[in-house]
Amino acid sequence: MAAAKPVPIPDFLETSRKGVADADLRRKLENSTGRHLDHVAHMRAEFPGYDGERDVARSIKEDAIGRLDELLIELKKKLEANGCSVFVAADAAEARDYILKVATTAGAKRVVKGKSMTTEEIDLNPALEQAGMKVVETDLGEYIVQLRRERPSHIITPAIHLSKEDIGRLFADQLGIPYSAEPEVLTAAARERLRSIFLDADLGITGVNFAIAETGTLVLIENEGNGRFSSTLPETFIAVMGIEKVIPKLADLSHFLEILARTGTGQKLTTYTNFISGPRRDGEMDGPRAMHVVIMDNGRSAMLADPVMREALYCLRCGACLNVCPVYRRIGGHAYNSPYPGPIGSIVSPNLFGSAAAKLPFASTLCGACRDICPVKIDIPRILLHLRAKENAAEPPIKWPRDARRARAGVRRFASMARYPRTFRLISRIGGLMLRPFSRDGYLKWMPGAFKNWTRYGRDFPAPGIRRKPADKV
Amino acid sequence: MSAFHKMIATVKSALEVAPRASSPHAPFTADAVSASATPMHSPRQLLPVAQLARRAELTAQFARELDAVGGVFLGAVTPDEVRMRVVSLARELGARTAAIGAGVTLDADSIARALEHAGVAVIWPGAQGTGPDDAGRAAFRGHLAGCDLGIAEADAGIASTGTLAVVGAPNRPNSLTLLPPNNLIIVNADRMRPDLAAAIAGIGAETFTTKRVALITGPSRTADIEKMIVLGVHGPKKLYVLAIWPHEA
Repeated sequence: MAAAKPVPIPDFLETSRKGVADADLRRKLENSTGRHLDHVAHMRAEFPGYDGERDVARSIKEDAIGRLDELLIELKKKLEANGCSVFVAADAAEARDYILKVATTAGAKRVVKGKSMTTEEIDLNPALEQAGMKVVETDLGEYIVQLRRERPSHIITPAIHLSKEDIGRLFADQLGIPYSAEPEVLTAAARERLRSIFLDADLGITGVNFAIAETGTLVLIENEGNGRFSSTLPETFIAVMGIEKVIPKLADLSHFLEILARTGTGQKLTTYTNFISGPRRDGEMDGPRAMHVVIMDNGRSAMLADPVMREALYCLRCGACLNVCPVYRRIGGHAYNSPYPGPIGSIVSPNLFGSAAAKLPFASTLCGACRDICPVKIDIPRILLHLRAKENAAEPPIKWPRDARRARAGVRRFASMARYPRTFRLISRIGGLMLRPFSRDGYLKWMPGAFKNWTRYGRDFPAPGIRRKPADKV
Repeated sequence: MSAFHKMIATVKSALEVAPRASSPHAPFTADAVSASATPMHSPRQLLPVAQLARRAELTAQFARELDAVGGVFLGAVTPDEVRMRVVSLARELGARTAAIGAGVTLDADSIARALEHAGVAVIWPGAQGTGPDDAGRAAFRGHLAGCDLGIAEADAGIASTGTLAVVGAPNRPNSLTLLPPNNLIIVNADRMRPDLAAAIAGIGAETFTTKRVALITGPSRTADIEKMIVLGVHGPKKLYVLAIWPHEA
């Protein structure tokens, strides 16, 4: 199947600048992410075992990732013994092609999808649609962004960038219902619309949260029930997973489940934890006739080979790091131009998408909030610095001796005036007056020469030596 | 086959770049499981009173947690009273059709007959033209789509989270607890486990390998619209749970 025509990738600096300027977006994100963080704080307070479970979960992942080859062999064997067809895809193109082949061989026309970032990663929907299939996203958030012809902006809450009024207007336009901004009404409309689509579908595609090697079981967690529908009703079912999703034993699972929903959504457990081992057996009424599992690499083995990057593979996709990140909360998920935004996205996207995502590791203040909230304690700031060093090493070498001399001279000059309070105040006043034409509301909009980056890309630089109004809270 | 071997070779060589950090964690899981798993038939000689107290404690905790996630706990009844309680729920809901699957400790047949006696049409997997063949499955789906109340017995309950473990079977299809807008799940109070690890261990690897298992914690929900919680998205909107309080320990 021919790949879609490449679209010019917007520059991250451009998209993030737009994100920062969008006060409306910021308000919506603060609202929703703030609510999430409250839930999480509450959950952690009432579960004293939380930190202990994080350590256990991390050590299970360390062990599992450390012998990934053995576990993949065991998983494939057990899945096949359970009646699944297992396909191993080296990259996105292979995964897409296999899924297309299964779909067309099965004569599928109506596809229902459970939320899966892995299928976003491989750009699956356009390929299926080009082959003449109707693809409907069934997770409510994904359904909403699909109607808007947008990408999801968050790995857990795809429509987090929209207000209920936005969604109300969307449903009124696209579904023909009278306008309402009540979440109950909007949800009921989606439930009704999607129910008949579920009953009619001939192919269901979902992602996978955990694949248990010991039993050959896929675990799919969700709140809505669309994952159960997609894996139970249609005749053909395809589960798509990255190689890092495999865990060794059934007994390992509870350690992850105890922390995943608590951190991701502030619940003890999601409404449904589904265990899927294979297609329909003799005498059963539910379940697909054929079940396929696509196990995909697509850059993950490269992360495995890098000792610093390796722990990025422990990620449980809880989305908490996005909600706590000061950068994500300002610019929103779309600015990252990747199915994986936020802190975890900034470290995995360069590995999955190469140079298109090269600037993302620089989108961080290195505050470490992501590392603190991560249920498996991934040291994201360390990996960000590692990726920055790699990226800088690839660029033309800076002239160290010259720049080091200049930096030292500049700091010496600054120190000579900063040591004397009156001199400092005088020079700030003069500097402020000289820069007055370039400042607005007490912040500089432009600085000359080597300082110009300090005011670009939405950065604020307070104008020196001028009394300022208190900063407006946006 | 060769594509798979190629990937395994890639993964292996990637791992060789850095030595494996920690030793296998097996001690964790073995201890964790044995510490929290209470086997179905405890080897310890518990006094009936102590066992009843434990059962009451777990059931009470379960009821609190179920309530916290928006489910409705109907209480605990003796095995003889179950039929009547199910019929009165069906009446309260004004249900005209109900679907029921085979029980685990219950005799689902007698419940089905009591419902029919009360004027509720009952769909039974395998009857009324339903069955594992293509036409039978379509018939079942059709019936279920128009059904008001789905009834199933859980294999186990989890007290710490208000969860029910429902194991699929040919005569207890998973869709029973998925399609109907109202769900009644019955659980034997003796099968109430303290936590998730114990429940998973109690159900056992063999069941997970061969059957479709759903851990259900409350009615279906979403927070996709401004992170505000709405119940009843695709799965059932209302979840009722009835506990059976057996006479014998």
